[in-house]
Amino acid sequence: MSHAAVLAADVVSSGEAGAFWVLGPIALAGAIGMVLSRNAIHSALWLVLTMLSLGGFYFVQQAPFLGAVQIIVYTGAIMILFLFVLMLVGRDYSDSIVETLRGQRVAAILLGIGFAGLVGGLIADATSGVESVGLAESNADGGNVAAIARLLFTDYLLAFELTSALLITAAVGAMILAHIEHESGSRPGQKEQSIARIKGPRPQTLTGPGVFARGNSVAAPALLPDGSVAEDSRATGMKMRQPPAIASGSIDDLDDVTVDSGANRDGVPT
Amino acid sequence: MSNLAAESPTLADFGTDVWWIIVIKVVGIFALLVALTLFAILFERKVVGRMQQRIGPNRVGPRGGLQSLADGLKLAFKEDIMPALADKPIYFLAPVIAAVPAFLAFSVIPIGPIVSIFGERTPLQLTDLPVGVLIVLACSAMGVYGIVLAGWASGSTYPLLGSLRSAAQMISYEIAMGLSIVAVFLYAGTMSTSGIVEAQESGSEVSAFGLNFDGPGWYAVVLPVSFIIYCIAVVGETNRAPFDLPEAESELVGGFHTEYSSLKFALFYLAEYINMVTVSALAATLFLGGWRAPWPISIWDGANSGWWPVLWFIGKVILGLFVFTWLRATLPRMRYDQFMRFGWKVLVPVALLWILVVATMRVLSREYDFNAGDIALYVGIPVLVLVMAVVWLWPDKAPDPTVKEGVPPTTRGAFPTPPLDLVVPPSPPLIKRDAVAAGKRGGGKRA
Amino acid sequence: MSGYLTVGALLVVGIALIAGAGALNSMLSPSRGGGGGGLTTYESGVDPVGEGWAQSQIRYYVYAFLYVVLAVEAVFLFPWATIFGDPGFGTTALVEMGVFVGLLALVLLYVWRKRVLIWT
Repeated sequence: MSHAAVLAADVVSSGEAGAFWVLGPIALAGAIGMVLSRNAIHSALWLVLTMLSLGGFYFVQQAPFLGAVQIIVYTGAIMILFLFVLMLVGRDYSDSIVETLRGQRVAAILLGIGFAGLVGGLIADATSGVESVGLAESNADGGNVAAIARLLFTDYLLAFELTSALLITAAVGAMILAHIEHESGSRPGQKEQSIARIKGPRPQTLTGPGVFARGNSVAAPALLPDGSVAEDSRATGMKMRQPPAIASGSIDDLDDVTVDSGANRDGVPT
Repeated sequence: MSNLAAESPTLADFGTDVWWIIVIKVVGIFALLVALTLFAILFERKVVGRMQQRIGPNRVGPRGGLQSLADGLKLAFKEDIMPALADKPIYFLAPVIAAVPAFLAFSVIPIGPIVSIFGERTPLQLTDLPVGVLIVLACSAMGVYGIVLAGWASGSTYPLLGSLRSAAQMISYEIAMGLSIVAVFLYAGTMSTSGIVEAQESGSEVSAFGLNFDGPGWYAVVLPVSFIIYCIAVVGETNRAPFDLPEAESELVGGFHTEYSSLKFALFYLAEYINMVTVSALAATLFLGGWRAPWPISIWDGANSGWWPVLWFIGKVILGLFVFTWLRATLPRMRYDQFMRFGWKVLVPVALLWILVVATMRVLSREYDFNAGDIALYVGIPVLVLVMAVVWLWPDKAPDPTVKEGVPPTTRGAFPTPPLDLVVPPSPPLIKRDAVAAGKRGGGKRA
Repeated sequence: MSGYLTVGALLVVGIALIAGAGALNSMLSPSRGGGGGGLTTYESGVDPVGEGWAQSQIRYYVYAFLYVVLAVEAVFLFPWATIFGDPGFGTTALVEMGVFVGLLALVLLYVWRKRVLIWT
């Protein structure tokens, strides 16, 4: 960004060229990985890699604002949306690899390579030998961000406002379609459930299996999941209290049931 | 003054370093971040301990000073568990994705003015870009992936729920955070962090009641609403209490990192604390004057030159960490619907409204020759009085029936619960202190 | 340009550090192969049944969409804020952004009325 080069034709610096040869293969690998992945989430992650590399390209081509936006909006927001959609589908979903048309895959690969070659060749032919000029001028006064903002809020104002209105409307439409509206009060929310639990007979969480405690004295031994006594937990040098027996896991019939507390976890009598 | 002005870097000062200066800076950033992380963990445990009438860690090293280092080393010796149901490549990658953006965000944080390192004059900041602050936002957007993928790849229910919660939470509060920063850009006219620090050097002149004085330059004072929204949003963004729903221990075991162990767990831990440090540093940069000395110290001429600013900067970061800890020790965890409601129905609308209010005030003060201080005086104070009057005169809600009325008497065989009218005896140190004080008073009388 | 390369250098060094720590960790940590159920999913002591992967609820998708909308909006607010102080961008810029933010506020109000913002 030195000022001596403001009016000259833009030269690709060695740093930019180096960054291109690093980021280019990464972007390409991401794209190919996305197509080849069987798992949908893996596909999405490869796409994230491509998007990140594109952000890097914008940075090295002196469009830092576009680069940051690429990362915040595409890699951040839109790909997270993709991930959520894929998680809606579930993990077990993968592509079927059964060919419905014979030779379909070979034909697709050949045609794809051919098309890529055609487009790439055309673009290379059209852009080789073209000198880029004017980058330094457009970024000169106040930098890249200010230049974009100035254009956006003067010359392209109408397009900007209309596009944003269109985009918002479309997005909200898609959002509302996915939303199921409940009448207020028709379903208990987290607040109602929380209040009901506090006011109910059992404000605390339900007991996990095998962890029911009748007391926290050292004389009370711990119980294993089947209700028998964990021998390791017996304290030495004192008379242990007989543990309560648990058969069905319900606390109400705790004192009515007796089980063989002399058996350990594997049912072997001790 | 010209000497001092030359000390504060501008965008043109960046990108001209020789390679060994860059190496020193990169190593320095890692050293600073790791040191601050180790310090923050210990500091948090010590402060929470004090707030809970405990001493905190005091075994390893002098006064427990090496506790977090010992914890970190211990993690390196733990078995690295790869659950059988995990999606292996992503399970492996997720902690790296969480940790890398965390320290990358620190690259645009200004730590000090231009200093001389071995004769080379260079700003104490790795780099600065015209889109400086956006880099931090981009990094926090990338950090979401680490958490979502960790939960998904673990192949377990608790992590999956934790990661989904976390992602929804982070994206909600990221919006509020982004919107709160817009007003700062509005005032500073730039997105580069060094430029924002420079813009806070001195405030505009304020005249109130016929007196002229220099207003404060810190955006925390100029833009208090932005500052408050930012502070709340980053607590949600870093998944810290009272917004630590993604790892709510009582519900989700450990949240997204339940299945992680050893170094991978350490990376998540590191990422969380580095994120705390980064958002504190960004708060200092955007709202608290950056590395510039706070008021009483700034009277001293040399306070903002040389290496001294590093001290003020780290002091501000530690202040941020202290607030994080304080919140954690004080506030209970929110319910998820409360949390989301607060984010979308309070923070985002208020942030949008505030941007328009600030912009309107700027236009008024510039084009219609109102002074910003006048506007604050003639509009702000009546609004404040009105708000306070409404809050004061608002009818109190009838109190809900107490919990005690709703709970039936405990039956035999149910969980042992303490009686609801339990009277807690005063703590022994208090009794002892009162007794000593009474004895002293009594002794004084006798003498 | 070289500013971005510096960030790239930080990235490379960071990944190298993490890789180094990982290598050190794999040498130091024991590897018992998780015999005896060590590699099963953690379920607080309950034997895991089936797979832990569940389908996520649609509400996450809805919030992600809201995030996309607002992130795009915020991105336009940033450059607007930086040029707002420039000469010639006073009242006009305010009105322009007022229309933009007003539209956004309308959307937020609409989804609020539609009860999208209530987390169930």
